[in-house]
Amino acid sequence: MRLVVAATSLAAAAAPTTAFAVDYLSAEQAAKLMFPEADTFEARTVTLDAAQLQQLDAQGVRGRSVAWPVRLARKSGQTLGFVVTDDVIGKFELISYAVGIALDGTIRQVEILSYRESHGFEVRLPAWRRQFVGKGIGAALRVGEDINNISGATLSCTHVTDGVRRIVAVVALARRGGSLA
Amino acid sequence: MTRPSLRALPSKTLLAASLALASAGAFAQTATEADLARRLDQLAAELAAVKAQLAQIQQQRATAANPPAPATPAAPATAAAPPPAAASDNTPATVITSYGEINYNRPTKANQNAQADVRRFVLGYQHRFDAKTKVVTELEVEHAVSSASDSGEVEVEQAYVERQVTPTWALRAGLFLMPAGLLNENHEPTSYYGVERNFVETAIIPSTWREGGLQLVGNFDNGLTVQGGLSTSFDLNKWDATSGEGKESPLGAIHQELSLAKSHDVAVFGAVNWRGVPGLLLGGSLFTGQATQAQAVEKARITLWDLHARWTPGRFDLSALYTRGTISNTAALNAALVGNPTLIPKSFDGYYVQAAYKAWTFEDYALSPFVRWEQFNTAKSYADLGPGLTPDAARAERVITLGANLQVAPGIVVKADYQRFRENTDQNRVNLGLGWSF
Repeated sequence: MRLVVAATSLAAAAAPTTAFAVDYLSAEQAAKLMFPEADTFEARTVTLDAAQLQQLDAQGVRGRSVAWPVRLARKSGQTLGFVVTDDVIGKFELISYAVGIALDGTIRQVEILSYRESHGFEVRLPAWRRQFVGKGIGAALRVGEDINNISGATLSCTHVTDGVRRIVAVVALARRGGSLA
Repeated sequence: MTRPSLRALPSKTLLAASLALASAGAFAQTATEADLARRLDQLAAELAAVKAQLAQIQQQRATAANPPAPATPAAPATAAAPPPAAASDNTPATVITSYGEINYNRPTKANQNAQADVRRFVLGYQHRFDAKTKVVTELEVEHAVSSASDSGEVEVEQAYVERQVTPTWALRAGLFLMPAGLLNENHEPTSYYGVERNFVETAIIPSTWREGGLQLVGNFDNGLTVQGGLSTSFDLNKWDATSGEGKESPLGAIHQELSLAKSHDVAVFGAVNWRGVPGLLLGGSLFTGQATQAQAVEKARITLWDLHARWTPGRFDLSALYTRGTISNTAALNAALVGNPTLIPKSFDGYYVQAAYKAWTFEDYALSPFVRWEQFNTAKSYADLGPGLTPDAARAERVITLGANLQVAPGIVVKADYQRFRENTDQNRVNLGLGWSF
């Protein structure tokens, strides 16, 4: 048994490098993890216009990008929710993450797809990410308010939290605009 | 450069017009053979210029038809070097980093000693060679000017290569910060409260403490971070019993900073930190190694350990740390130093507790008042040298610091505080500071 484990570990260690320092999940895997009951995922790009970006600004959310990749999770044609993938800068490097949002606009799950920094990997810990679950557009979604910081990972925590807040707002806006119907 | 007026013209019209104009010029007057040759050269040059412009226009049209990928988040300043093929398309391979602090200290009982200083100015870079390998460096200038007649220092603070060996384990080699306490590895001015770094983590843990060696870093899914390895050690031969440096920071006086470091003695170090509950950090570290480097008859071992905790529930930021260092065999080492003001202590220690609260936020502004209580003793005990020869243990200094950090923008902090000393009250002071980090 030990030999098998050792051989597997060695194989894992020797596997060809993927695109980043440590990749944990692909966007597809994350979507399936968040909506296991879904039978299809439809990929769309939500494009925000100038007026929508201004609305985001008015909510205190920096829009940053006009185009957002969204996966609509569906079961038998019924939409179950949305999965948005994004990157934010941690301290020096990009953190790739995905946010699953249920039909009621609350966060179903946050997953870290890739982490490349030497420090602050703790944003990947389930306990930290669980803090987002069930929070939606009405929540502060800010480190030091309703999201606890991780010592030594302040920038990673802050930037991922800011990114999640932005995604929640973008999805709400896109749904109001009818582009996620 | 493309002239804007040319962009609007269809490329074939442009070419034909250029040729017609050039030809008309060529036949307008009687020409010698040399003139004709010159005009032919001119024509060829103009044709080459038109071709270049045409290629540029075509390239611009192709770019317009296939716009680049959507904007990625604002990245830190990147160097102009082309990224290696292995790096992600949107991840810069080279990232420039910097932090700095400009401080003003005004002793309240001796304001003639007020001082303003560029305490630190640090430039660094991280360069990713491939998906799993990078180099991290920091170059620091202390006190703005370093020359034969100034007291500033220029130092390489970090220079290590890190290789992600497995998703869990990374290996570092080179000059790295030691995993000790809360501050040493997170020493940017935006990371701590107060204008000056706390005394315990400068006098007892000699921040910014770095050694050369090998370090394994393991990050586990249960929130544990394990660090450990082999490194260079201190050099007790540097102990200057005639100066007060050893009283300020026993280990700061004998650190080597990988500057022609004596390397006969190899130290072992390790640290464990647990962040399994959001907002909570519990950890400890241990360093131990011989430190006479085979330069003295006697051997002496230096051991330094710490326990620390930090809890950041909501707007609160609470932390506590205890650290203790020992040097073995100091009786034998001190025997030759008796009569000097600063003998080598047998033990030194310190602790602090600190509470901060983010009291006010507006846009990116955040004001966090804090209070810190610390007690430290750089010479808590001396080995027995016999009656009349053994120095008295020092009295523990106790300092209370009251102040606030104001974040002006992410990465920029303005600080102000007041420090009151229980023993050496002449050191009571008001401090102001400006810091940045990116």
